[in-house]
Amino acid sequence: MIRRLLIANRGEIAIRIARACRELGVESVAVYSDADAHAAHVSATDRAVHIGPPPPRESYLNIDALLDAARRTEADAVHPGYGFLSENERFARACADAGLIFVGPPADAIARMGSKIRARAVATAAGVPVVPGSTPADQTDAGVLAAVNAIGVPALIKASAGGGGRGMRQVRHAGEALAAIQGARREAEAAFRDGTLYVERLIERPHHIEVQVFADTHGHVVHLFERECSVQRRHQKVIEESPSPNLTDTLRRRMTDAAVRAARAAGYVNAGTFEFLVDMGHGAADDAPFYFLEMNTRLQVEHPVTEQVTGVDMVRAQMLVASGAPLPWTQEQLAQRGHAIEARIYAEDPATGFIPQAGPLLLYREPKIPGVRIDSGVREGDRVSVHYDAMLAKVIATAETRPLAIARLREALLTFPVLGIRTNIGFLIRVLDSDAFRDGAVHTGYLDEEGAALASEPSPAPPEFLRAVLAATSEGPSTASEVLTRTWDPWGTVRGWNA
Amino acid sequence: MATPQVTRIGNGVYRVEVDGRAEIVHVAVAAGQHWVHWNGLVFESPFSEPESRTRSRRAHDGPQSLTAPLPATVRKVLVEPGAPVQGGETVLVLEAMKMELPIRSSGPGTVRSVHCREGDLVQPGVVLVEISAS
Repeated sequence: MIRRLLIANRGEIAIRIARACRELGVESVAVYSDADAHAAHVSATDRAVHIGPPPPRESYLNIDALLDAARRTEADAVHPGYGFLSENERFARACADAGLIFVGPPADAIARMGSKIRARAVATAAGVPVVPGSTPADQTDAGVLAAVNAIGVPALIKASAGGGGRGMRQVRHAGEALAAIQGARREAEAAFRDGTLYVERLIERPHHIEVQVFADTHGHVVHLFERECSVQRRHQKVIEESPSPNLTDTLRRRMTDAAVRAARAAGYVNAGTFEFLVDMGHGAADDAPFYFLEMNTRLQVEHPVTEQVTGVDMVRAQMLVASGAPLPWTQEQLAQRGHAIEARIYAEDPATGFIPQAGPLLLYREPKIPGVRIDSGVREGDRVSVHYDAMLAKVIATAETRPLAIARLREALLTFPVLGIRTNIGFLIRVLDSDAFRDGAVHTGYLDEEGAALASEPSPAPPEFLRAVLAATSEGPSTASEVLTRTWDPWGTVRGWNA
Repeated sequence: MATPQVTRIGNGVYRVEVDGRAEIVHVAVAAGQHWVHWNGLVFESPFSEPESRTRSRRAHDGPQSLTAPLPATVRKVLVEPGAPVQGGETVLVLEAMKMELPIRSSGPGTVRSVHCREGDLVQPGVVLVEISAS
């Protein structure tokens, strides 16, 4: 079993992994860049190691620095979290070569399923349908352009190495293709250090429904049902839920069977997700066509949704499986119970095109509501930096039914004050309140098309009594400055402990 | 409306009793600016009309000074002085928080000057491109 685990990540997922470590009696080691010296994840672990300057390339993406940190702290395992190096075959191999347990699939499984082209071949061989597309051998502008023309518009250009909507562009008219190719490549290189592009047919108004699978080294493969993640903005997931409001039992069985079959065919080990596009617009719901999109060979941002409806701890299971133990559950023991919905809170301004916001969290108070889980990576007084992803927290509501889970999530968002930088909370509430979301009719393009107005909807005028509150706070300068100093710099008060 | 009764009940938290109802309001202050949270809504002082935040995005014909909305790296400069631009045309591509941010001209005009180069780290508020009215 793992004795000491280095968490090669930051933010909420590092904290989530540290919590699983504590419960398992595994010591945890955080890593941090200069920008994160006082970050929440650094105090969530038993030890913490500085790995470099703020740019990810020089810290969280720096394989040598991470391995060196593992050596210095005598860690025997590494968990990559999501993003950063989590789907990097070289990193998994380097960990294995250094004698470290990589908490994830083996390097060859990442190579096989992390590459879109090879994953499609595996899926096709396992009888799972795929969206038409290709990775052009000629990666020049002209080569990728030829691939776009061969597939036809509408087409989607994306980073072969990536996920999360980075390095991804839609092409609706042939004239836009060149700019889209160049933009996607730049973003792919910046985010993944790999500018290889992939081109595929764009399925109109699809639902994004993914199946969570888990496999061990003893030949067991199970699925943990589905998550519907169709609420996306520019291919970035915003709200995720399980069960999907759109799956019939028959369609669910067809999709989970396909995912398990493909995982077996891939010789996959540990947690993974098969993402499917489902075309709900054609035929009866039982027979809706679905297409394998890609596999995520890692833990996902939205894994809590699955944990809430199945009642399992996936990070704990990841560590057990990585240590060579069998899966802690059989397929028969797994069931979906009730409904869970997750909303991602981002530091971004919906009114100005969702520009990421950096700055101080003057006031940040997470709601405490039964049935609401909050996985967050920040605290009041922290500064949201420009160097990393702008996600502050995930709010996950669980209840008996979908309408009750929506009501619970809505209440949590209404009572979650975040002051000092702008967030998408108001936007999330408007999405939850929309008829399209209530009806389960949101497709992956909805927020960028029909639902785009939800972003720019002006907020109502402030009620009169808020002026009275402001008058009361500015009347006594001591009160206002107390709010300011107490929330601005927590380290100012902590320093006293050393005296 | 009766005079609201405001009671401080915690660090940055106020209970307001107004017309027999109790409301919870959170307040924070920085650099003279108040941030106020009530019932899922956030207001920034000075309280302005709702459209003021979006006004700058509408097309207009006057001269423009384009600035970075947040600290960012200049990825691409797509115009040079003297070049004509259309409303909505992308003139710069910035990168911050792993995302590309296109900076667009809000109306037609001519590029008067460019104050940044590719690779520059730029701060919010600093003028990057000036465009004169056509």
